[in-house]
Amino acid sequence: MTRGAPGRGGDGGRSDPGAPRGGAAPRIPRRGALAAIAGAAASLCTARRARAFGEEGAFNPRVLLTGTAELEGVRATAPARWARELIGRTSAPARLSPSTVRADDPALLAEPFAVWGGGGDVPPLTDREVGGLARFIALGGVLLVDDFAPEEGGAFRKAARRELARALPEGSPIPIGTENVIFRSFYLLKRAAGRVEGPPKLEAIIRGGLPQVIFSQHDLLGALARSSGGVHPLSVTPGGEPQRERAVRLAVNVAMYVLCSNYKDDQVHAKFLKGRKGGGGP
Amino acid sequence: MMTRTFSLSGDLGRSYVVVAVALAVISGALLIVEIARGGRDRRARVAIGASGVLAVVALLAAVLRPVAILSRGTLVGPRVVVLVDGSRSMDLPADSGTRREAAARAVADLSRRASDVRLSVLQFGEGAPTPIAPGVARPLARSDLAAALEAVSRSADERPAAIVVVSDGRLDRPGPEGTAAGVRAALGTLAVPVHTVAAARSDPVDATIRAVRAAGAAVAHQPFSLRVEIGCSGGLSCDEIPVVVRELREQGAATPLAAGTAHVRDGVGAVELPITIERAGARIVEVEIKSPAGDTIPDDDRRLVTLDVTRDRVRVLHVAGRPTYDVRALRMWLKSDASVDVVAFFILRTPTDDVVASQDELALIPFPVDELFTDQLPTFDAVVLQDFNAEPYGLAKHLRSLARYVDKGGGLIMVGGPDAFVSGHYEGSPLADVLPVALPRVEREKDREAVGVDLAGFVPRFTEAGRGAPVLAPLRALIGEDLPEMPGVDLVGDARPGATVLLAHPTRTTKRGAPMPVLALGEHGSGRTMALGIDGTHRLLFSSFAASAAGRAHGAFWDAMLGWLMRDPRFEPASVDVRGGCIAGAETTLLVHPLPGEKGPLSVRVRRLGSGEVVRSVAVALPPEGGPVSVGVGVLEAGGYSATVEIGAGEAKGPTTRRDFACEKGGDEWADPRPDGDRLRAVAAATGGAAVGAEDAGSLPLPAATQVAAERHVAPVLPPWAWTLAAAALLGVHWIARRRAGLV
Repeated sequence: MTRGAPGRGGDGGRSDPGAPRGGAAPRIPRRGALAAIAGAAASLCTARRARAFGEEGAFNPRVLLTGTAELEGVRATAPARWARELIGRTSAPARLSPSTVRADDPALLAEPFAVWGGGGDVPPLTDREVGGLARFIALGGVLLVDDFAPEEGGAFRKAARRELARALPEGSPIPIGTENVIFRSFYLLKRAAGRVEGPPKLEAIIRGGLPQVIFSQHDLLGALARSSGGVHPLSVTPGGEPQRERAVRLAVNVAMYVLCSNYKDDQVHAKFLKGRKGGGGP
Repeated sequence: MMTRTFSLSGDLGRSYVVVAVALAVISGALLIVEIARGGRDRRARVAIGASGVLAVVALLAAVLRPVAILSRGTLVGPRVVVLVDGSRSMDLPADSGTRREAAARAVADLSRRASDVRLSVLQFGEGAPTPIAPGVARPLARSDLAAALEAVSRSADERPAAIVVVSDGRLDRPGPEGTAAGVRAALGTLAVPVHTVAAARSDPVDATIRAVRAAGAAVAHQPFSLRVEIGCSGGLSCDEIPVVVRELREQGAATPLAAGTAHVRDGVGAVELPITIERAGARIVEVEIKSPAGDTIPDDDRRLVTLDVTRDRVRVLHVAGRPTYDVRALRMWLKSDASVDVVAFFILRTPTDDVVASQDELALIPFPVDELFTDQLPTFDAVVLQDFNAEPYGLAKHLRSLARYVDKGGGLIMVGGPDAFVSGHYEGSPLADVLPVALPRVEREKDREAVGVDLAGFVPRFTEAGRGAPVLAPLRALIGEDLPEMPGVDLVGDARPGATVLLAHPTRTTKRGAPMPVLALGEHGSGRTMALGIDGTHRLLFSSFAASAAGRAHGAFWDAMLGWLMRDPRFEPASVDVRGGCIAGAETTLLVHPLPGEKGPLSVRVRRLGSGEVVRSVAVALPPEGGPVSVGVGVLEAGGYSATVEIGAGEAKGPTTRRDFACEKGGDEWADPRPDGDRLRAVAAATGGAAVGAEDAGSLPLPAATQVAAERHVAPVLPPWAWTLAAAALLGVHWIARRRAGLV
């Protein structure tokens, strides 16, 4: 498992000039991706202790790719930021150089988490891709579906739901709020937040009593994106940096939910948490 | 003895005899009618009548040809079945000596009447009666007279003319209520008298534990009431009797469970004692009373009761050093099993983590290490330490109590990772002695990581024991020989004596040159432990490898591991029974039922609970055709014992199985030492038999002897021609008489 030094962002931001359109994730130059990896490596140099024993057990915010999409654009740095925030804030190990995985690649079944993001419509998935997603979910994998452009009509969200209905015909998403373990798996959250404020609740397809496909209309990866120089390429609206912090906390909570399942639903936690005011929301 | 009798010739059928006799009677009747109608003088009528009757008789004799039978025979006594009580209560005192001795004297008295009757002396107790073996017979654990009577009634042997029961009357069946109906039902169609001989009459001077009853089922971790019933007899002065209840342990003094006082009135008393047993399975509980002075049977002041403690749910404490996919997989499996009640604590934040939030904004709670590993620890059936470092979170100071917890019967699983085993600072700790593998020493702290882990990927291999162990059978049924690659391993030493290595490293070896254990199982005290030096079993749940078995391999693996830890019979290599129970001072035999396919030598070690001393060690070969194996473990003293069974040798030696059992001198049979003469009288009265004391056994009213023919001669009284000649002559006389009287 890998432990890295806490890397903490939050030094302002700017609007995203290349907001995703047309279904594929925005492209970022290869050099930018390398810079992100280098940043992660630099963090490792100052790590408390870095070991690879059981690295596969570490949280890996893999980006799910479909069709001809590639990991590019400003959000390509988000998974590594997500991993660093997790390592810095919690005891959980995470991969500082998260990978990508294609829906039709058997490697999708290598780990139980993936994030599927986009800003526009998605071309219909191939049968192999649908089969891959179906197997991933059947094995118990957790998929986060992040809409990069919710303020533009939610074309990606609708397309993702349409395609996921092929892989998971019996499931339909329902709103989940603070009553759900995702909102208290590490931080006590009062609402969901991302680059955009969006609705206070997430949506999820529940299987076996647990959220297995989580839908975000908040552009979570957009809020996490940060360049190697520490600059946030996308501004967070309307809440600014406090809202970005809430987005980071939501990302941490999603990771903790993936790693601990419904641990925080255990009765033993309830009496301790009763009366805590929580945070992360207006 | 000679006798003479007469009969008819045997060559005539019964119908012909009837016809002949009928014709003769009719002829005689017609003759009488004829004479009565005639008016002749009396002399003529007498002559005609007498000659006619004699002629008919002679003619009938000529047809029937009577024979004389000369026979010689002997008198044979009736078969009488003597049922002698073989139960342990017959070893209690009688009016003179023991009841068994009194019974032997009564049988000897009966045997003196062997010229009148034929005695079949059998012993009853459990099931059908058996012949009494010569020498010292093993006392039986029950006294079931009804079963013995049923067996005699249904036997294909000669039916007895009477049954004699020699007992103290302390019978399991028929019970004190409905004794007569029970006896008649047992006899069925056998309508013979059942006589009874009382082996004892007077009550011994004694205070005893009459019964120990659990109110409902005994469930681990849940308090239940144990009712202890006390009886005093023989005029012993009883008022308040102290009672203590303890649980026997593998080693060390018995654990006190409860104490109280029974108030005895009119010879009986009872006390309800609430107790809680934390471990499931067969638990040996000692109940002891302090008898008043004058008690003549001190052996029945202590009972060893085997309580079959069940589990409502397996209560598991799952502690993880940090959240990982491996932790997630194990937690999800534990939570998915409805029979498991899991209490989990994961370290989600280290002291150096910067959460960028106030405590109120966090869903984190303190890790209650002191509470968990002191007061709460006994309430868990198993503890899982997953990649957990004992140092930073205050566990180190509780490792001794955790070791004691295992010693008392708790289960422990240590799951690997970068902070487990040596890296988790367990080497040299009290817990290290409990683990099934030795942990290498760390000379310098900076060497800990190098000594503790190997970060090279590898694929574990099944050992020979692993291939045959029932505990890995479900996993192997899904994935066969293949296992997924593991990203690293915790370095451990040799397996401890008695431990079993199921998975080993393909290249790494221990100092002794053995393949380094990756998965090892062991027993310590009353508990079981498991060491798993990897943190990649989640790959059995979620990976390309796992997909081939739809992720079921992970559940199959952990279900078996937890099941073995909890002594689930599905994963034991064998089951063990104590044939006929264990009687102190008598030969004890264990009946071992190995799983089908088990091979190799079978060894049994019997330890005495409390001292842990190995009192017997026996090795036998498993029969090639399979089936149960009887293992004699000799004569044991009163006390609690554990029998540990191992199958196989060397690397093929599989995990052990264990059975705890109690040996008592008296047991239930001594719980009430008073003889029950009323029961014996009721048995006799129900069948028209007689009830006598042992000293009067020789006077029982047994049935008389019958004669049996040994030699037989048959000869005709007269030859057939003589009868025919006589008939012809008499007919001639009759004809002359009729002529003279003018009747022709």
